[in-house]
Amino acid sequence: MESSNLLPRSATIVDIRQLTDKEKLFTVRINNGGGFQYRPCQFVIFSMFGIGEAPISISSAPLDSGETIELCIRSAGNLTGAIHKLSLNDRIGIRGPFGNGFPLERIDGKDILIVAGGLGLAPLRSLINYIIHHRWKYGKVTILIGAKQPKDILFKEEILRWENDSSVETYIAVDIAETSWTRHVGVITGLFKYVDVDPLNTIAAVVGPPVMYRFVVAELLAKGIFEGNIFMSFERRMRCGIGKCGHCQINGIYLCQNGPVLSYRDARKLQEAL
Amino acid sequence: MDVVLEYSDVEKFIRELLNDYDVIAPVEKDNRYIFDQIDDPSKIVCQYDTTLLPPVKWIYPNNEVLLRFKLSDFTETKAVNARRNQVLVFVHPCDINAINIMDEILAEEPADTNYLARRRSTIIIGYDCACPCRENILCFDKGYHNADKGFDLYFTDLGNRFFVNTATDAGRAIVEKSTVFNKAGYSDKTDLMKIKWERETTFKKKVHGDINRLSHVLKDAYDDGIWEIEGKKCLSCGACNIVCPTCYCFDVVDEMCPDMEMGLRYRKWDGCQLHDFCKVASGETFREKAAGRVRHRVLKKEVYLKKRFGRSGCVGCGRCIEHCIADISIIDIFNHVMERTGGHGEL
Repeated sequence: MESSNLLPRSATIVDIRQLTDKEKLFTVRINNGGGFQYRPCQFVIFSMFGIGEAPISISSAPLDSGETIELCIRSAGNLTGAIHKLSLNDRIGIRGPFGNGFPLERIDGKDILIVAGGLGLAPLRSLINYIIHHRWKYGKVTILIGAKQPKDILFKEEILRWENDSSVETYIAVDIAETSWTRHVGVITGLFKYVDVDPLNTIAAVVGPPVMYRFVVAELLAKGIFEGNIFMSFERRMRCGIGKCGHCQINGIYLCQNGPVLSYRDARKLQEAL
Repeated sequence: MDVVLEYSDVEKFIRELLNDYDVIAPVEKDNRYIFDQIDDPSKIVCQYDTTLLPPVKWIYPNNEVLLRFKLSDFTETKAVNARRNQVLVFVHPCDINAINIMDEILAEEPADTNYLARRRSTIIIGYDCACPCRENILCFDKGYHNADKGFDLYFTDLGNRFFVNTATDAGRAIVEKSTVFNKAGYSDKTDLMKIKWERETTFKKKVHGDINRLSHVLKDAYDDGIWEIEGKKCLSCGACNIVCPTCYCFDVVDEMCPDMEMGLRYRKWDGCQLHDFCKVASGETFREKAAGRVRHRVLKKEVYLKKRFGRSGCVGCGRCIEHCIADISIIDIFNHVMERTGGHGEL
């Protein structure tokens, strides 16, 4: 058979959960016994024949044999609209995993500060669950989550669990809320006043909408966290995942090869990144 | 092995090629030239200036099929790596160098198997330009007016016959199978040296200052006003991308057969100058202004590719200048930044 880096592997939808009005969580089994090795913050390219392909970050944590992965997908266009109409046992295609993923080898023994804005929680859920699973390896773990409204919050039950887990500190902010909302109201940067970290020993992981990065990075730097210890995952258009199609290029780098995770120290040198 | 070919035998040689290969050669079209598949050797034009599209597009065609699939049966999904037993005839040095650059980019792992399949099944016959083919070219500045590899045979016009350098085993096999070549002698080699020597003096530099500093100068000129000026002119039509022999960005498109059961996934050429090139699902466009897109095109060739591969990704063919209806010229951009900094980019 002809080989190609653009040929997807067969996969089956084995579970679908409605997370919010717009987002669903799909559990996907990679067929033909292909165990999937991946890191938090890597992504796959989701393929529906006849409609197209799109990059989707992996929301599950690499804790088992990798037979299934979880993908949190917002219905936003042609392809993701069609994905939302999929049913259990439907066949789809998966390519990847792609990208560098989060540098897990750099964070043993460190305090971890996670900042997730909106859909940014989709990739960071992988990191959070990985860290909670290996909780003994890390120092203090703080999770900041931002959303537009309470109804937009992803993975609500899991966040409640994190809130009740005394080994992690979890804070949530929404931009707009009814008076019944008991947590923070305002943008995500408003949560930094609750954050108490040792800047010399803290690694920050930030994923959110593009507009968020500048403000969050300013807060992190103000806390004294080093530029090289702030890691961010970037979103760009992608077609191939193999560093060829050109859409994900930020200055001289291809995000699908050298990203999507960049340290602020590296991202700062790329004028087109922030 | 060096051989010569009489003018009168060229058509016979092409006819020999036609027995074994699809022959892609420069032909005239609407007073300009294109590379096209031929079956009549008399159609070939030896003396041509730059073709509208570069010959590399025959190795990297638009609407190339990547996969074929069947909706009801995933096991019927197959990758397609089309080969094409083809010979590109009379390719100029700039375009040979462009193919060399494309080879390097697309063979880098994870490799583009579709390109490589076509590339492996393509024979390239080079053709030395005797002099600059047009005004707005900068192949000489970059040293891309000479090609030292990337061809199987290389033709130089000696005035009444061609000197033919055989560079690869595939090229040698063609010459050995053919009946039209004669072994090159002392006088052939003398004539070749003379022509090569005279040729060097006909090219003129277009970029002021030391071209080796260009990528450093451009890097320093990231915030220069030139990008806004050129961006205001730019119509974001993407013509410069389409005609560039080292532009390889693509989009992927699925097409269903009318039975809604079988389908093809293929790729189309895409261009970084188009407004929606960097648009994501949320609606954000990461290179929103034309100024940023013009800068990206120039820096990609001169800075980013140079950093990765050690040489400029622009071969100086001048097609982007010729085809720009807004009169944007990379030569002018280069000269602007060189003059602004006195050519002293930080090394």
